[in-house]
Amino acid sequence: MHIADGFLSPEVCVATGVVAAGALAYSLRQLEQTVSSRTIPLTGMLAALIFAGQMVKFPLPFVPAYGHLLGGVLAAIVAGPWAGCVAISLVLLLQMALFADGGWLSYGANVLNMGVVGSIGGYAVFAAVRRLVPGHRGIVFGSVVAAWVSVVAASALFCIEFALSHPGGGFSLPTVVALMTSFHSLIGVGEALITGGIISYVVAQRPDLIDAAARPAGAVAGVGRLVGIGSVAALLIAAFVAPFATEGADGLEAVAKQAAFDSLEHPPRVLVLDDYSVPLPGVGLSHQFWQRLSVSVAGVFGTGCILGMTWMFGRLVKRTLPATEGGHGG
Amino acid sequence: MAVDFLDRYSRGSTWCHRWPARLKIVLTLAVIVAVVLLPISLWPIHGCLACLIFAAHAVADIPLSYLLRRVALLLPVVLLMALCVPLSRGFSGGWELASALVARALLTFLAALWLVNTTPFDRLLAAFRQLGMPRSFVVLLAFTYRYLFVVFDELARMRTAQRARTFGRRSPWAVWNSTVQLVAMLLIRSLNRSERVHQAMLSRGWQGEFRTID
Repeated sequence: MHIADGFLSPEVCVATGVVAAGALAYSLRQLEQTVSSRTIPLTGMLAALIFAGQMVKFPLPFVPAYGHLLGGVLAAIVAGPWAGCVAISLVLLLQMALFADGGWLSYGANVLNMGVVGSIGGYAVFAAVRRLVPGHRGIVFGSVVAAWVSVVAASALFCIEFALSHPGGGFSLPTVVALMTSFHSLIGVGEALITGGIISYVVAQRPDLIDAAARPAGAVAGVGRLVGIGSVAALLIAAFVAPFATEGADGLEAVAKQAAFDSLEHPPRVLVLDDYSVPLPGVGLSHQFWQRLSVSVAGVFGTGCILGMTWMFGRLVKRTLPATEGGHGG
Repeated sequence: MAVDFLDRYSRGSTWCHRWPARLKIVLTLAVIVAVVLLPISLWPIHGCLACLIFAAHAVADIPLSYLLRRVALLLPVVLLMALCVPLSRGFSGGWELASALVARALLTFLAALWLVNTTPFDRLLAAFRQLGMPRSFVVLLAFTYRYLFVVFDELARMRTAQRARTFGRRSPWAVWNSTVQLVAMLLIRSLNRSERVHQAMLSRGWQGEFRTID
């Protein structure tokens, strides 16, 4: 998930770095100004937990591969959006400085995609859903929706950063967006499953932890929530609408079409269908195919999965386990 | 748990390890910026930089097997992302950009890996502070680094306990479910611990602001 160096141009790295630094500084100030001094040790501990939690492998059903938690939404729900954003930034910096995971130049872009959009934007979505659905079920429902949305929104944001880094660089942006969001809508389902599972377990065992953390932070959000929902919505719209905006955006294709119009008597529709087909026998992956893939996989499949998960977790929460002692160990 | 499982080779004692951390950060960033900024048509320069990076790794006594293992973890992700470029044109172009992306990602990754494996984390922290990172963020980083080991120990204990209680073949759903419970329980325990840590900090005069010796 982390952006390695070399994918983004230094200009984009600087720009995203400035935005991320601003958001991070604001989050840090919010953290230092909160009434309870408890948030400081909580944030550090939460970052350590997310770091360790990302290393726990979740076996995927049907495929011999592993998935893992990303944790942006989880951190935001447990400790509030500002502490969540700081915690994710801490995790990213530790991974960069201990493992060289994620580039040093693209640290700002990583913080923007996963900390700011992932935690603050994810929390905004969570808070909006929670307002609609009351009670513990709303917490779980909100966490599932927010986890999926944050992953897809982050991938859309990466595509925009990538396109800005390589102006006129030999690829078709709408198709890249379609590929990335389709792929990440699958990853998002995994993240939503893990986050929803963890939150529903914690809600069943220690509802006070989530309730206490989510309330006061929700009151703080206010304008931030509006901005968060707005930016996430814009990114999602970009992700799902961009694949359709092919005609104007794709310069090379337009040129090719023009040439075909002038010299040959090709009907343009045939050309559009043909020029993106893969040179494999019997497999014609046209541009339209990718458009359909983007919308059908990312939209319909994701939404269906989320509805299914919500129903499932809703049932899990209903038969709440008898409260046992949370943590006598350690 | 071994204390050095995170950055294994950073506590060596070679010539490279003794350089000041700030110098190493600036040098590494300079190499990374050069790799990213130079057009890939000037590939001989990239080749020279690659030789430089490998020489630096050799001087720092970082074994080749470790580098290969790390690259093998990174490469699939980078290849997949780079492959999106030619795929978006139906494999009829874009290979140049894709290969440039892979080459740059590998070179910058190796450069960063050298920095990380020649500089212990506490030195990096001090250098971050000297380079102007806000004090509260540096203190939070130190706090997190300290508690990483505690949380990892807790996780290892819980896994041992889990393995001791569950054996035999289990359905994928059961494995998934118990993994979710493992992380959720770790979350609850960590939150409880942060509560205790907060109490201990209060009893030692914590008033919500950071004080450091330097």
